[in-house]
Amino acid sequence: MFQGLVAEPLLDGADFDYGEYLSGQCLTCHQSSSDEGIPAINGAEALYIAKKLILYKNKELENEVMQLVASALDKEQIASLAIYFNSLEK
Amino acid sequence: MNNLSRRSFVSLALASTSLLAMPAISTGSARPKVVVVGGGAGGATAARYIAKDSKGAIDVTLIEASKHYYTCFYSNLYLGGFREYDSIGHSYDNLSANHGVNVVHDWAISVDSSARKVRLGSGATVSYDRLVLSPGIDIKYDSIDGYSVEAQTKMPHAWKSGTQVKVLRDQVLNMPKGGTFAMVPPPNPYRCPPGPYERISMVAHILKEKNPTAKIVVIDPKNKFSKQGLFMAGWEKHYPGMVEWIDNDTHGGIKNVNPETMEIETDLDTFKADVACVVPAQRAGAIAMNAGVTDGDWSPIVPASMQTKADSNIYVLGDASVASAMPKSGFSANSQAKVAANHIRGELTDSRVFPAKFSNTCWSLVATNDGIKVGANYKAGDEKIEVVDKFVSKTDENNAKRKKTYEESIGWYNGITTDMFS
Repeated sequence: MFQGLVAEPLLDGADFDYGEYLSGQCLTCHQSSSDEGIPAINGAEALYIAKKLILYKNKELENEVMQLVASALDKEQIASLAIYFNSLEK
Repeated sequence: MNNLSRRSFVSLALASTSLLAMPAISTGSARPKVVVVGGGAGGATAARYIAKDSKGAIDVTLIEASKHYYTCFYSNLYLGGFREYDSIGHSYDNLSANHGVNVVHDWAISVDSSARKVRLGSGATVSYDRLVLSPGIDIKYDSIDGYSVEAQTKMPHAWKSGTQVKVLRDQVLNMPKGGTFAMVPPPNPYRCPPGPYERISMVAHILKEKNPTAKIVVIDPKNKFSKQGLFMAGWEKHYPGMVEWIDNDTHGGIKNVNPETMEIETDLDTFKADVACVVPAQRAGAIAMNAGVTDGDWSPIVPASMQTKADSNIYVLGDASVASAMPKSGFSANSQAKVAANHIRGELTDSRVFPAKFSNTCWSLVATNDGIKVGANYKAGDEKIEVVDKFVSKTDENNAKRKKTYEESIGWYNGITTDMFS
């Protein structure tokens, strides 16, 4: 299911189970039940999630919480989160 | 788990392709048992994640006395009139219906750690392979001379959400014109470090509108507090001249309180209040004490797993634990619960265990659309949970930024309560 996506360099090294575990940190705030104040990200394109996280990591997007979260994620963790959230129902 | 919910859960799991990758679901008493005591941000999250992620392979029982849980976080916003009381109440129904958690509404009275059993108020016992204690705080009523269980109706601490917050709101709304609201924050360490100062902001918000000549005096047993610069700048901006904060060095120490005369005596002076919120010192909930996993007032834990140092079959989450750099907050408890859930699943079902990763953000509301926040990432050190990186709102942020921070906090509230109860 993720084969096509994993061929994308940004998603290289993605590990679904690791993504599931790491997603716990995101799900404290990001839930599909609400888009108010914090966007719902379930089912978003994997590349979109990976690119956003990299922009936050590089502090090219503003938001202290997201910059903090992304700063602690390496490439494999970002890829794992991206494919995991992509797999969730919107 | 009752038969009906187990059946519906298993049929759901069978419908999922992910079952192919999961270990076989064992049935009935052969399944490993996890008992979770306390249905707050730590306990509800732990129960939900262990049940959800083990897909029925672990039998999860949640013991929580309340049928309806009112969150401590956002109770200040109810106090300030920004939220309806009902909007901070949540039911446990989805935990059983969606994840097969066996929710038992009772008190956990004692733990027999050698027999691995928890005794309940009803007299029943529940066996466990792993026990998660997330009991929150108990109030040390005797930590302030003159304070007591009885005193809390006159001088509510309102530090466990629920009905006391309603009492306090009524008292503030009915305060005499030009009267004095006194706040005695707790000494460190305590639940929700910015909480007393958000509470002061919310009371000031009510008084500014309904009783503008009233005063607020804060008699603090500390000399500094969380987000101090941000709160004090906010009070000056929104409620000029209304809030007087007196640090411990200035008043010299709180000697006693008198709920009959509504007086608070310090070395410096005796303060007379019309309404007083007195929040005493705190300690881990009684069941953690009873289980023998505390050292002093709190439970030391192994940072990588949240297992207690005293008993590797018992995990302590949230306020009751010694989480070192992590504040005692709902966000912290929720974060710790996921680390513990992952570890417990690994121990009981051989699922993969990933390195502990913790985070926390505390949002506070200073006035309408004026939100501030502080947050950090943490890692498991050998002995302590350690800060990796942190941030705090800046005092010179514009109104649009503060409004966005408040809106973000609403998103967080919706998120974490979904993460706990859905």
